[in-house]
Amino acid sequence: MSLQILVNGIATGSVYALIAIGFALVFNILKFSNFSYGATMTVSAFTAYFLVASKGYGLVPTLLVSAIAGAVVSLFGEFVGFRRILLNNSPTTYFFVSSITLATLYEGLVTIKVGASFFRYPDFFSVSTLNFAGTVISKSDIIMFIISAIALGILAFIIQKTRIGRALRAVSFDREAAQLMGINSTLIIQITFVLSGIFAGLAGCFLGIKYTLTPTLGSLVVKGFISSVIGGLGSLVGAVVGAMLLGIAEAICLKIFGSGWATIVTFAIMLLFLLVRPQGIAGSNVQEKA
Amino acid sequence: MALFINVLTQVCITLVAVCGIYVLTGLTGMFSLGSAAFMAIGAYASGLITIKLGLPVIVSFILAILMAVAIGFIIGLPVVKLRRDYISLVTLGFGESIAQLLIQMNYLTGGANGLLGIPRKVKWPIALASAIVSITLVAMFKRSKYGRQCIAVKSDELAAEAMGINSSRIKMIAFLLSCALTAFAGCLYSFYMGYVDPGIFGWKKSADWVIMVFFGGVNSLTGSIFGATILSALPQFMRSLRDYRYVVYAIMVILIINFKPNGLLGEWELTPTHIKETFKKIKNKFNKNSKES
Repeated sequence: MSLQILVNGIATGSVYALIAIGFALVFNILKFSNFSYGATMTVSAFTAYFLVASKGYGLVPTLLVSAIAGAVVSLFGEFVGFRRILLNNSPTTYFFVSSITLATLYEGLVTIKVGASFFRYPDFFSVSTLNFAGTVISKSDIIMFIISAIALGILAFIIQKTRIGRALRAVSFDREAAQLMGINSTLIIQITFVLSGIFAGLAGCFLGIKYTLTPTLGSLVVKGFISSVIGGLGSLVGAVVGAMLLGIAEAICLKIFGSGWATIVTFAIMLLFLLVRPQGIAGSNVQEKA
Repeated sequence: MALFINVLTQVCITLVAVCGIYVLTGLTGMFSLGSAAFMAIGAYASGLITIKLGLPVIVSFILAILMAVAIGFIIGLPVVKLRRDYISLVTLGFGESIAQLLIQMNYLTGGANGLLGIPRKVKWPIALASAIVSITLVAMFKRSKYGRQCIAVKSDELAAEAMGINSSRIKMIAFLLSCALTAFAGCLYSFYMGYVDPGIFGWKKSADWVIMVFFGGVNSLTGSIFGATILSALPQFMRSLRDYRYVVYAIMVILIINFKPNGLLGEWELTPTHIKETFKKIKNKFNKNSKES
């Protein structure tokens, strides 16, 4: 039974990890919490639904379209919401307002399109669950776990091994110094937004498969935020570890307290965590240099 | 006339809440995406105290506000010492869990159906008076020692600390004042509508309020009040365009942030000094124009 809980926890955690990573990427580079992230997930999940999944294509095209839609939306957000603020050197608070405004905009647009109705992705698998020695694993969970792992692996490779990744790390460390060293920081920021958008698209699609598609799907982004707070704001490794821990903690709460209370208990865990270890698991606390 | 009075009351209730947001966002530079949750606490607590315990309305208001402040203290305790991002993340999580909590405790709160049967004691004069009192309170707060300290913390926390301001204390004071005002708005709301349901207290409402504050001018109380009045009154008169409302808001605010980052009124306040200055400016412009012609 405990193995079942662990499996469920890891399955949930791998989706949360995608959310948390996309959020942490942007946080890392611009040092603000991108609240439009959740709505980006919603928009891309719905785009994939209407363009691909409702026409009967399989899982892979849906994921691809969702990821592309996420990248496009994210890039649009960067252009409309953040570019000018960045160039004006406005205070970080404007990024914040811009991001929640964008979130309102996206969610409003989705609401206009679909109303308050529910949608479901068609079942992508003929056999939905597998059974290993008493542990039931749904097939979609395995696929999600594998795809999340691959995506995270590719991201780690890009960040650690390629020129773009090095530039990205430089910009996130000190934007002005990086600019002076000849790095086109605007381009790097755009690339970051595209990467973050791809993760938003994947996460949105997975959430749509796991739950139902509604215009408020994006509010699940809270889980990603909590994961990154637990893991340490701005740390990519921390975000993944935090997401896994959150997924498992939630599965345990689900078993003990029932579904409604899980959200509340995880919030309490986060609050406790902030009191005891505010810098998060990874310990890379981004403090304002002032 | 009935429509007008309804709109007036709702705008006044929103104004009380926006005063709270102004203290938090405009003065101290912190963002809360869980302000609506404090409104929910105020609404539910005051309603339940009156219905279940039969206490008079005033007492239930005071108890509800105290309760919101106490919860705000617990939430604020870990976050005021940290970067300001944390307060928005934590309050967002808090808002979602309060919504869940209200649905879960259905034996007490009526769950997703909402809490019914609250006596409709609040009429428009009370709402209007509350709005005026709250605005005056916040205006006085802004002029007081605390208000100036808040502004100092907003512009540069490190410099403020160097001047001897206890920045986490002042952030906490601003946060608690904001909690109290939003909870008060919640009390007014529940006793005006006669029922409350958990659906309306999501992060969207908090985001709405922040947008209102930024629309009119984040540094100016007059601007925030102005923005809140316009943005909350307009949709009431155009009910058919309800779905488009958020989109239109969002586009307006994005334009304002990009091209006029200080909001419509900037730092202008409705005080004698500012009015005089504005008159002078207009006069000068007028004189210039007449000389040129």
